[in-house]
Amino acid sequence: MANALFYLMSVGAVAAALGTVLARNPIQCVLSLLASFFCLATIYLLAGFQFLAAAQILVYAGAIMVLFLFVIMLLNLGNPGTDDTTDTAMFRKKGAFVGVLVAAATMAAGAMAVTAGALPEAAQAMPEHGIDEIPALAGEMFGRYLLPFEAISILLLATAVAVVVLAKRDRKDAPRKGA
Amino acid sequence: MTVPHEHLFILSAILFAIGTAGFFLRRNVIVVLMSVELMLNAANLAFLAASRMHTLQAGATQPSLEGPMFAIFVIVVAAVEAAVGLALVIALYRNQQTVDLEQVSALKN
Repeated sequence: MANALFYLMSVGAVAAALGTVLARNPIQCVLSLLASFFCLATIYLLAGFQFLAAAQILVYAGAIMVLFLFVIMLLNLGNPGTDDTTDTAMFRKKGAFVGVLVAAATMAAGAMAVTAGALPEAAQAMPEHGIDEIPALAGEMFGRYLLPFEAISILLLATAVAVVVLAKRDRKDAPRKGA
Repeated sequence: MTVPHEHLFILSAILFAIGTAGFFLRRNVIVVLMSVELMLNAANLAFLAASRMHTLQAGATQPSLEGPMFAIFVIVVAAVEAAVGLALVIALYRNQQTVDLEQVSALKN
């Protein structure tokens, strides 16, 4: 049952990922990517990662995709006039060649690496509470990974500042007070 | 579930390859950013598959938490990347009224 659900969700994730890359309308791309993230969250859950599944939905589906959708709506790119996948544009020979070649090479390298040495069989049953129990995860995060945790908090702060600076309208464009 | 570990890694490779193809094929900069998100997700899946493999192997006494920790950091970095990338898209659109990468060629030649 769980195995069948895994394969179903795998097919769903791959199909939605293809939809993301191939859809004409940016809105369709966002919604396909959202579907892909939900399928992946289910796979995380099946593989025993409950916290990561929740984080995937909260952060990716809840925050990042809304950000994408917001920017597309803000710039009014959802109308079919601005799509970039009209046949001549998207499948220009050089770009398509490079893209498909790199993707195929990635696939081949991954498949070879995976099939070269047989991975160990699962010798134990899945822990009852899943693999990423919150207390153990928190102990790691504030113990062994404290320095990366602090570094990433600084990264988030710097990003917030950087985004404000980047997205702010230029002083020159703003109407002067006296003029 | 009792799926072999290989299948998780193969799914991860397929998703990464699709993301790579999208990165090179698409010209809309927002869709290019989405392809990057797809690749980061594939990497996350590989981290978690490795963690599952180490947790379920013979002789392991406690769960392997390196995978989930790295996946959390990747999620944060993906959020940061999306925020900065989209801010750049807005700045670009304000200056050039386009999100088509073919038309943004000020640094070419």
